[in-house]
Amino acid sequence: MSDARRPPRLLMKTLMVTFVTVALLLAVVFVVVTVSVRNQVRQTVASNLESTQRLFAAVETRRQRELRAQAETLADNATLKAALDTYQTETRADHATGRADLLATIDQVLEKVAARVDSDAIVLVDSRQATLAAAGRMADRWPRSRPVSLVASKAPDSFDGVARMGDSVFRVVTVPLLLDDATIGTLYVATSLNQEYAQELDRLAGNRIAIVGDGLVLATTLTPRASRQFESAVAVEHQVDGTVALDGESYAFRRLVTVGDTVFYALGSIDESSQAAMRDAMRNLAFVGVFGIGLAAIGSLWLARLLSEPIGALSNSLAAMAASQNVSARLPVTGSSRELDTLTETFNALMASVGEAQAQTQSAYTGAIRALASALDARDPYTAGHSDRVSVLSVAICRQLNLPPADVEVVRLGALLHDIGKIGIPDDVLRKPGALTAGEFDIIKQHPVIGARMLRSVAFLAPHIPIVELHHERPDGQGYPRGLRGDEIPLDARIVHVADAYDAMTSARAYRSARLPAEAIRELWRCAGTHFHADIVAALANSLPGVVSDATHAELEPV
Amino acid sequence: MRRGLLYVSALGLSVAALGAGQLPETGRVIGRVRLTSKVPGKPLPSTAYPRRTVGDHDAPSLPEIRNVVVYIKDAMYRGALPAMRADLRQEHETFIPHTVAITRGSSVDFPNGDPFFHNVFSLSRAANFNLGRYERGQSRAREFTKAGTIKVYCDIHSHMSATILVFDHPYFTIPELDGSFELPAVPAGQYTIVGWHERVGERLERVRVEAGKAASIELTVPVPVDGGAP
Repeated sequence: MSDARRPPRLLMKTLMVTFVTVALLLAVVFVVVTVSVRNQVRQTVASNLESTQRLFAAVETRRQRELRAQAETLADNATLKAALDTYQTETRADHATGRADLLATIDQVLEKVAARVDSDAIVLVDSRQATLAAAGRMADRWPRSRPVSLVASKAPDSFDGVARMGDSVFRVVTVPLLLDDATIGTLYVATSLNQEYAQELDRLAGNRIAIVGDGLVLATTLTPRASRQFESAVAVEHQVDGTVALDGESYAFRRLVTVGDTVFYALGSIDESSQAAMRDAMRNLAFVGVFGIGLAAIGSLWLARLLSEPIGALSNSLAAMAASQNVSARLPVTGSSRELDTLTETFNALMASVGEAQAQTQSAYTGAIRALASALDARDPYTAGHSDRVSVLSVAICRQLNLPPADVEVVRLGALLHDIGKIGIPDDVLRKPGALTAGEFDIIKQHPVIGARMLRSVAFLAPHIPIVELHHERPDGQGYPRGLRGDEIPLDARIVHVADAYDAMTSARAYRSARLPAEAIRELWRCAGTHFHADIVAALANSLPGVVSDATHAELEPV
Repeated sequence: MRRGLLYVSALGLSVAALGAGQLPETGRVIGRVRLTSKVPGKPLPSTAYPRRTVGDHDAPSLPEIRNVVVYIKDAMYRGALPAMRADLRQEHETFIPHTVAITRGSSVDFPNGDPFFHNVFSLSRAANFNLGRYERGQSRAREFTKAGTIKVYCDIHSHMSATILVFDHPYFTIPELDGSFELPAVPAGQYTIVGWHERVGERLERVRVEAGKAASIELTVPVPVDGGAP
């Protein structure tokens, strides 16, 4: 449960932040791309339509001219003109019905023209603006003697227009038939503005086509629904260009060409074009997105490692420090970042002050204990200064044994406190001048245990407990309180044991006088192996040059 | 050329005078023809591309008044019609003059004055013929034995045309440049005088001719003119 509440790892955090940033960035790019692609497509479609229109207009003008020139050449036919003129002259002069043979001649010429010109009908309109003859596949829409009204184009040198015959609408190119510079009739090259024509334009222009005449769509390649909507939206106003929504789709439209009252529109679907462009853009965006996220993942992993590795190293060092309870150790400065180094240095400074405070506390404790030990020593004039001397002697032995300074410190304080347990021994037993009874000696033998018990209540004195508890153990197992043997006895306890014995021997007691150092050493040597460890005795002897010089080797060696 | 035209007119007049001499109870019809132009709407351009003229197409066109014929409608004439001989030249890709009036039985010569071939043919009811093609300097002739309006064309140059009016009587004339005309030696009586133009048809005016007198009338012929200018 507590595990679930732990904050996420640094790696997860950097990954999360990076991903959110990249995702936001991608979202913004997506929106921008969508909008700009749509705008661009709209412009492209519009400019596409514009160029289509220009091209179409040019081509269309050219085509109309070619058509007219072709028709003109074919109509520059003496037989046709002679037949028409004769027919009209005779009809006019005699008010008679026309001659069938002349009409037949006219029809024959028109059929020839129709066969050579790409059109739906070739029509001969007489000088009274009525049809006289027609040929071609839609000739039946132009019955004889039907008046024709042509809505001509307004352009200055155009020669086309739109003619309505019944429910058919024709685009018409006109060719006047001239006789002595007078017009005797007009040849119409008529193209039906029907679905077929719209489809042909659609194919040529590459766009949807709508042919609008008199506010109505005459022919278109749009769907019927879109066509009706286009009719109501655009047709009436005769706009040049713009955009319009037809049947749920967005179209750009442009007027291609105007013939009489009829307008040809080209329409380009914006949605259709933008779908393809969007597909492209999205593919690129997806590629960038995958690449970006991959890069971001690598970057954030790297960043996390960069941050967490020194922190991990630092926290490992700290963990090691905590485990060893070593306040004097210092954290290594990683040099990975200024902040982390500052943190390390601050921590080290803190630890230094903590160590200092601890040392002060210890020295305060030590002082207090030393005072206690002195007070204890002072109870008996014979033992006054004993603890201090044992401490000094023990340290001397340690030096001789080349013990590390930390161990020496343990021994120094341990030696000072070694007899602290005597506080719990009654004065009459402790200060009894004469020989002790067995019961009294048993009481005396309690002091290492009492001392150890006392020290256990103070945590930092724990290292000294073995000295206090075991400084009366003997290598031969005859010591107390446990009766440990040889190597079972800790080194510092052995040291203090020897120093204690030496000082006791060289001090005066109520029941005996003080012995000389050399004498004491000799006594120690005598008991080495049984009471004392020989190497410690040797170390003591070596540490007391005066003593050693007094008690010569010759004297000592044989023992 | 103009001289030729005057010659034709003078011939016609002399024929009329000859008829008048046989019948003493005659009068004259004098008058004037006025051309008014009826301007139609804006004409369509005549060609898709600027016309490239072949040869000298800027032929001196005759005044429109010379294309008008004045005659008595359905006149009865019992005497022998004098045969005439008229010229219809082909020059500058144009028939000159454009309109000729002759009596039945007269002949028309068609000399070719252009440095290239011409043809003369007609599809008209009164005379259906084709004189074939012939080169410069040559001339073909045709006698017209049936009264009526005969349109003449050139098969090679489709824009050329001329009109020959063939009458059963001598009471016709082509006005002077100022529009004035005279029909001499017309038997006294009630007549319908016609002012004819190929693109207008007949314009009628009633007149009463008294012996020894000149009946005066005015004829108005609304000639349509292309291009706005009359």
